[in-house]
Amino acid sequence: MPQEVGALSKVRIIDLTDERAIYGAKLLADLGADVVRPEPLEGDPLRQRGPFCNDDPDEPSLWHAFFASNRRFISLDLETQTGLDQLTGLIANAEIVLVSEGAFGTSDLDLDVAMRVNPALVWIECSSFGNEGPWKDYVAPDLVAGALGGSVSTTGDVDTPPLKAFGDLNFVVSGCYTAIAALSALYHAKETGQGQRVDVPVHQCIASCLEHVFMWYWYSDLLGPARGRALERRGSLHWSNMYVVMQAVGGTIMVTPTPDIDAQLTWLIEADEFGDLFEPEYQDPANQAQFMARLMEVLRTFVGSKDVEALFLEAQSRHAPYGWVLPIEKVGENPQLEARDWWHPYSIGEHVVKGPGTPYRFSQTPWQMKPYVETDVDAKRVLQDLGWDNDR
Amino acid sequence: MRPLEGIKVLDFTHVLAGPFATRLLGDMGADVVKINSIARATAINATNNPYYTMWNRNKRALALDMSRDEAKRIGKDLCARADVVIDNFSVGVLDRWGVGYDLVSAVNPEVIYVQMSGMGQGGPWSDFVTYAPTIHALSGLTHLTGVEGRQDIGIGFSYNDHAAGLHGAVAMLAAIQARRLTGKGQRVDLSQFEVGVNLLGPALLDLFSNGRAARPAGNRLPYDEVAPHNCYPCAGATSDDIADERWVAIACMSDDQWQELCRVMGEPEWSSAPVYDTAAGRVAAIDELDRQIGRWTAQLDAVEVMVRCQAAGIPAGVVQNSIDLAENDPQIAASDFLMTFDEPNPVIGTTYGDRLPLTFSLTPCDTYTRVRDVGEDNVSVLSDWLGMDNEDVVKGENAGYFV
Repeated sequence: MPQEVGALSKVRIIDLTDERAIYGAKLLADLGADVVRPEPLEGDPLRQRGPFCNDDPDEPSLWHAFFASNRRFISLDLETQTGLDQLTGLIANAEIVLVSEGAFGTSDLDLDVAMRVNPALVWIECSSFGNEGPWKDYVAPDLVAGALGGSVSTTGDVDTPPLKAFGDLNFVVSGCYTAIAALSALYHAKETGQGQRVDVPVHQCIASCLEHVFMWYWYSDLLGPARGRALERRGSLHWSNMYVVMQAVGGTIMVTPTPDIDAQLTWLIEADEFGDLFEPEYQDPANQAQFMARLMEVLRTFVGSKDVEALFLEAQSRHAPYGWVLPIEKVGENPQLEARDWWHPYSIGEHVVKGPGTPYRFSQTPWQMKPYVETDVDAKRVLQDLGWDNDR
Repeated sequence: MRPLEGIKVLDFTHVLAGPFATRLLGDMGADVVKINSIARATAINATNNPYYTMWNRNKRALALDMSRDEAKRIGKDLCARADVVIDNFSVGVLDRWGVGYDLVSAVNPEVIYVQMSGMGQGGPWSDFVTYAPTIHALSGLTHLTGVEGRQDIGIGFSYNDHAAGLHGAVAMLAAIQARRLTGKGQRVDLSQFEVGVNLLGPALLDLFSNGRAARPAGNRLPYDEVAPHNCYPCAGATSDDIADERWVAIACMSDDQWQELCRVMGEPEWSSAPVYDTAAGRVAAIDELDRQIGRWTAQLDAVEVMVRCQAAGIPAGVVQNSIDLAENDPQIAASDFLMTFDEPNPVIGTTYGDRLPLTFSLTPCDTYTRVRDVGEDNVSVLSDWLGMDNEDVVKGENAGYFV
């Protein structure tokens, strides 16, 4: 029987992150950890990020409700000794502290003192570029971080600028690394009783998640045909030339003849739409690259006359990994997500909004979504957990 | 000592998402045993394929031909001793190999069994075949990453494979922590599709709260009044090849940063127009604003723009390609992020890697072992995990199930 507690139940975390690592704190909170997020008296600046409930900036931020899910919030006045004592108490009572360099409260913390009080403390510090090096003081929101980290240069097309992905996906990467660092260091602390600090530089995090970019730089001579060591942005065309978005009737679809090219050819033969693919010039193994290029051209013609949904389902029934390019409103009514009961109600103040479920399901420790509440609803309980009484 | 030493991972993953997840644990000291076979080690699963070398370092290599009954028996024995069993095949493959969750958990109740399939267990699309471009398309990431009126751009690399791998690592580690409390293992059902859809969280909440369907926004922020916020062309292209173009990203997140940018640009007359005084005004006039800034940057080297802006506290960065990162990035160089493996690959020679981007103060992760050939670690793995002697391993190799 599944237990009604999350995987990280009883793990106490203080969340002093900004955009660069807040997704990591979210992952840990959604897995059941008790994550307390202190914020300034005037409120977390991330509460100002859109979109908002009822499209009204005076209503709760949907961005914040998503990224700061499952937290307990407490506002602290760090201009006062009481506020500083509260922050110190929270740190002393925590197993993990997640910090974004320069975020609220971080200038008032002393890692050495905290580690002396709690030698098993896990301290994760996410910064844009690390603590050393010529760019250590550079400022880099998601777009700039992605530009410098390498994710922007291969996205876009010949007639567009280089593009960032929709959303804060560069910071999703650094957020994930923050969570991985925290859980790995926690494992070690549980085994040995020794805490430690882990540094998470966003720049290297992004550069570690570029798929082919470094591969092409290092091995371009093995990968041929020669295209240089830096690949260009070229729309949806994959670096392998084997995946590209094509126009069908009623929409666009990502088409690939891989991984089973024979099966794709069989489909074209059955449809009598194989064009000139079996002409002698394409049968010579020495002309493999020309054959593949011609195959993609034939597929573009083949796809162009088909209804996009029917084509997608037919491809998948043949185990061909085509992907229908869905707008977000179609994603919102996706039959797979409905069948898996994936969507989850978000309780945001007075609002209940259908929202995303979890990226993974644990058979014994299921995911839970607590109501998203105003700043100080949980503050009293948070302080009581530290042993502070009502008077104090 | 690395932080995850002592954790045993049996790795049935292939291509990128799964191998990236286990690479992360291997980098941090887990004993990751990669299952491959001569029959399956083709194309990007070949150990001398550059793609394979990128994602399978720091793992020991065991050859098991899972079409053979004896290999299935050994596979089950290994599962009985693993902390984590992980795969990213389509649903049902490991069941056919005799190492499905029900069988494995019966002999190893503490096992963490992670299945990173494309669509998850159950549902009408559960046996659909997916690669990252498929997931990008189905999740909305392709539709939304681009410019207005285009549905054919999307993310220019297999982002979701990395995202799924990162989430897979989080899942393994969280389940290990849960086991510490409960004493029990469990099954983790990770849908790479659901990872991708989850990444659009705020846009989905906006859809369901406000009925507004997000559309491609280029480099602009879809929900916040921030401008300028774009990539701008620079001087210095070494050829007409698009790969040689030079660009710089500039993002003024506040009015103060905009005022500083005006100063860095030399207070051009156009920038004093009242419409630019507020973020709302700049967003309303964004096309003209971008054009004017582009005229300024086009005269300058991208690095110069970045350095001048950053000195004034303005977020700006060169749009770096692989050559920039590997050869010209002083921060990458200073952190020693890119490395060459000490031992060459027996077939392709020298191989390279990017280090784990995490610095542990007490348990540094600075061990990097090259990708191993199919079955190269048969003896050590089968000895360490099952206590088999060398003679039995050779017997299995000769009989064709450890190959």
